[in-house]
Amino acid sequence: MRIAMSINGTDHEVDVDARVLLADLLRDDLGLTGTHLGCEDGKCGACTVLVDGQATKSCMVFAVQADGSAVETVEGLATGTTLHPIQAAFHEAHALQCGFCTPGILMATKAMLAGGEELTDARVRTALAGNLCRCTGYTNIVKAVLEAAEALGREPTDAGKAAAKATRTEPVGATAGQ
Amino acid sequence: MATTTEVSQVQGWVGRNVPRRQDARLLMGHGRYVDDLKLPGMLYCAVLRSPHAHARIVRIDTSRAKAMPGVVEVLTGAEAAGFSGPMPPTINIAMTLNESYAIAVDKARYQGEPVAAVAAVDRYRAEDALEEIEVEYEVLPAVTTIEAALAEGAPLLYEEWGTNVELAWGMKTGDVDAALAASDSVVEATIPHHRYTGTAIEARGVVAVYDAIDGELTVHMSTQAPHQCRTLLAETLGLPEHRVRVIARDVGGGFGNKLQVDGEIVPCLLAIRTGRTVKWTETRSENLRSGVHSRDYVWEMTGGFSADGRLTALKTQLAGDAGCDGTNRSSGVGALLVAAYYTPGAYHLPVFSIDVTGVVTNKAPSGAYRGYGKDVATYAIERFMEIAARKLGVPSDELRRRNFIQPDEYPYTTVTGPIHDSGDHPRLLATAQQMLDHDKFRQRQEEARQAGRYLGIGYASMLEPSGAAVPNCIFNGYEPAIVRVSPEGGVTLLTGLQDIGQGVETTLAQVVADELTVSPEDVKVVYGDTETVPYGLGPWSSRGASYGVSAAVLAARKVKEKILKVAANLMEAPIADVELAGGAAQVRGVPEKRMTIADIGRAVYLWPGPYVTVPEGEEPSLEATAYWTSPIVRWIPDEVGTLSVYTTHPTACFGTIVEVDPQTGQVKLERVVVAHECGTIINPMVVDGQISGGTVQGIGGALGEELRYDEAGNLLNTGFMTYLAPTAADVPPIEVAHLELPSPFTPLGTKGMGEGGAIGAPAAVVNAVEDALAPLGIALSELPLSPDRLLPLIRRAQQGG
Repeated sequence: MRIAMSINGTDHEVDVDARVLLADLLRDDLGLTGTHLGCEDGKCGACTVLVDGQATKSCMVFAVQADGSAVETVEGLATGTTLHPIQAAFHEAHALQCGFCTPGILMATKAMLAGGEELTDARVRTALAGNLCRCTGYTNIVKAVLEAAEALGREPTDAGKAAAKATRTEPVGATAGQ
Repeated sequence: MATTTEVSQVQGWVGRNVPRRQDARLLMGHGRYVDDLKLPGMLYCAVLRSPHAHARIVRIDTSRAKAMPGVVEVLTGAEAAGFSGPMPPTINIAMTLNESYAIAVDKARYQGEPVAAVAAVDRYRAEDALEEIEVEYEVLPAVTTIEAALAEGAPLLYEEWGTNVELAWGMKTGDVDAALAASDSVVEATIPHHRYTGTAIEARGVVAVYDAIDGELTVHMSTQAPHQCRTLLAETLGLPEHRVRVIARDVGGGFGNKLQVDGEIVPCLLAIRTGRTVKWTETRSENLRSGVHSRDYVWEMTGGFSADGRLTALKTQLAGDAGCDGTNRSSGVGALLVAAYYTPGAYHLPVFSIDVTGVVTNKAPSGAYRGYGKDVATYAIERFMEIAARKLGVPSDELRRRNFIQPDEYPYTTVTGPIHDSGDHPRLLATAQQMLDHDKFRQRQEEARQAGRYLGIGYASMLEPSGAAVPNCIFNGYEPAIVRVSPEGGVTLLTGLQDIGQGVETTLAQVVADELTVSPEDVKVVYGDTETVPYGLGPWSSRGASYGVSAAVLAARKVKEKILKVAANLMEAPIADVELAGGAAQVRGVPEKRMTIADIGRAVYLWPGPYVTVPEGEEPSLEATAYWTSPIVRWIPDEVGTLSVYTTHPTACFGTIVEVDPQTGQVKLERVVVAHECGTIINPMVVDGQISGGTVQGIGGALGEELRYDEAGNLLNTGFMTYLAPTAADVPPIEVAHLELPSPFTPLGTKGMGEGGAIGAPAAVVNAVEDALAPLGIALSELPLSPDRLLPLIRRAQQGG
């Protein structure tokens, strides 16, 4: 089937079998390998992309279902080699280790921050419950999301600020931190 | 939050929160994981797996699958055995070895074992072809528990063994029966632990490139151990090892699971057979079904105590379920030996005996997972102390304090031989208690109990032996490093370690930068290619900060010495007067006599070159290779069998506050704290990240993660819908405090520390849940503490037992 979609702002027209998953189209046909596959039942969230602004698990959607949509993937976040504020916050807070789940979490975060909800530690944790990370224990991910919210002008609530502070481990030594 | 930090003064780069260099590519979606690789003409592999736990393969017909459009090859185990061998052992210490092939030849021994494999032009077609392979099985009775495996007349996995016992071993350090008889009280406990594993979000994967003309195989692989995988692959495939190359770039998590080849062999067989490039990307269900799995043991402990609550003797039997294989496909059964040597944990123990039995069953192979027996030891002794405290009527924190190794006793040699390098268990327990405001909690707990709520507090004093050196094993004890300075002064470090998310690409750069007085930005860390780096052993056993770091330090020091020699020669100064600072050699007291490393590099290599630059007898390079071996490894056992194979021993105290909902059996974690000690800290945020991640994996193991088999050997958790890894919503922030007690056995005082979270957290959680349920008199045993296990216990207790 011939389908059309915009991916990270660029229009694409592709021929695709009806059974091909959106994740496979992105990775195999379009070479956008930043979207990862960590399971096959929509639980791990590594494949999360935005479809018309909505966080979507691309392993649970056929490519043809995204016909006519605007798709955003992790490759579209940075400007050149300048990190998007969400990416920068993840870097500074050490919110990634192996990095495999990270693209999905970044996209889920983007969708979360686009919503109008007040952010607290608990809300961030609930919003990210569809994304598994086995490396970080989530502590720094939550911290990074709250810091990204602040950087993007989303003023967190006092509870959110307290949570960000509480999860911050004091640096070791008086002169630590470059 | 009470976060205490007591640490050394930070001077160079070591000790600083240097942000990780690899983050940029990973954050931008430009990581290079193996499944991202797409090569011309590449075929895709799919694997047909046995639906039975134990079955003889009577007949396989692949003709229909082979005839399908897009299918290039279909391979059975019997066909593969015609041009390849069985899997060699990964460990061989007092164990009975099996003969197994990557694709089962005559019999499948676990549900999920490969029985045939397809190579096709795309993944979809490869999967389609699996449906068309006909296999006739003769289903055999399965054994799925330790008890069943040891029963008289049990079905045998390997008939030629005449038994299902893969490992039988024991040690006795004195007359344990006499010591128990002389004790004032004796406590007996049975401590079981269920099966679970690492489940890195990137499952396993391979892109195998075979060059039939040169007879060379290049294997891109998600692995923690490129060199050992190369050795194992070469032997299995019958290729000269120097014609096999393993490349691992970004690895999406390892946790000990990715240390060997098993499923990884299958695409290599197809590549050799077809002469084409073959990719295999493991699905999550394949990953859960074929392993490696971990834990799954039961420990019987009998301990004696003096009247004042001191442990006098411990007599134990440890039985572990290795699944179908704990030696060749992966090395899980060896973890039982590590557990044995570290049974005493944080405590004084004068007399000890253990009998270890490792059995095979019709379950997935067992291997390493963040602990490799150290988790077994800490879990068992920390549960035992809790159970003993209850029986003796002593608060468990008090019982721990009475038995702790004391801070002035380090280095401390235990009854089984290991030498603990440094530590302070009493202070770590005190810190964890302070962080949780222990005394105030007891008040709150009492009030909550009056209101019908079940709050509990629990601790575990963790010991994390790190940096193993195991003989006759892929987990050997050395590590190389090469430090190389280019003509313009840039530094390259080649290491046998692999970055699997733990950040060695950055932390090793910090270490080398300090030695050469440059910035971590000036140091490129190269790893993950067996044709580029010397034979090294990779990250496992938390060996990065002992073996890997120490090798890098030694190599950098050799280069530094060479830089100083050349500088002294060129600036005509005695070498004792030349120092390296700020990336330049400086003659002390003579400001104008200064040469940068770049000046020296150019002079040595090209401008003018070595004859007038390098002192006589020195090689014309700024490059050095160094190997680090441990100063305290002792492989030759004494008369009772004591050994020393681990170099460093991080210590910690884990503390948790939980609430159990008596209506649902749900456990909610309110606080999780870790008072942690791991010697000199290279990068605090990396260390905290390791602790947080490991701790949440440990929490997952205690509360929800489980690989449960039914009696027929069907695995019941074949996806993340049923394998309940914690989500962000399931856990609180992990709070960490540090104490820094440098190891005397490593050049920088560093200790490897990647596994501790997963080692210490489970016992702390279980102890806290038991404390919460104390009013109901519930003694916990089976794990995980999922609602379906806890609720019946609560109901029964409420109904009066």
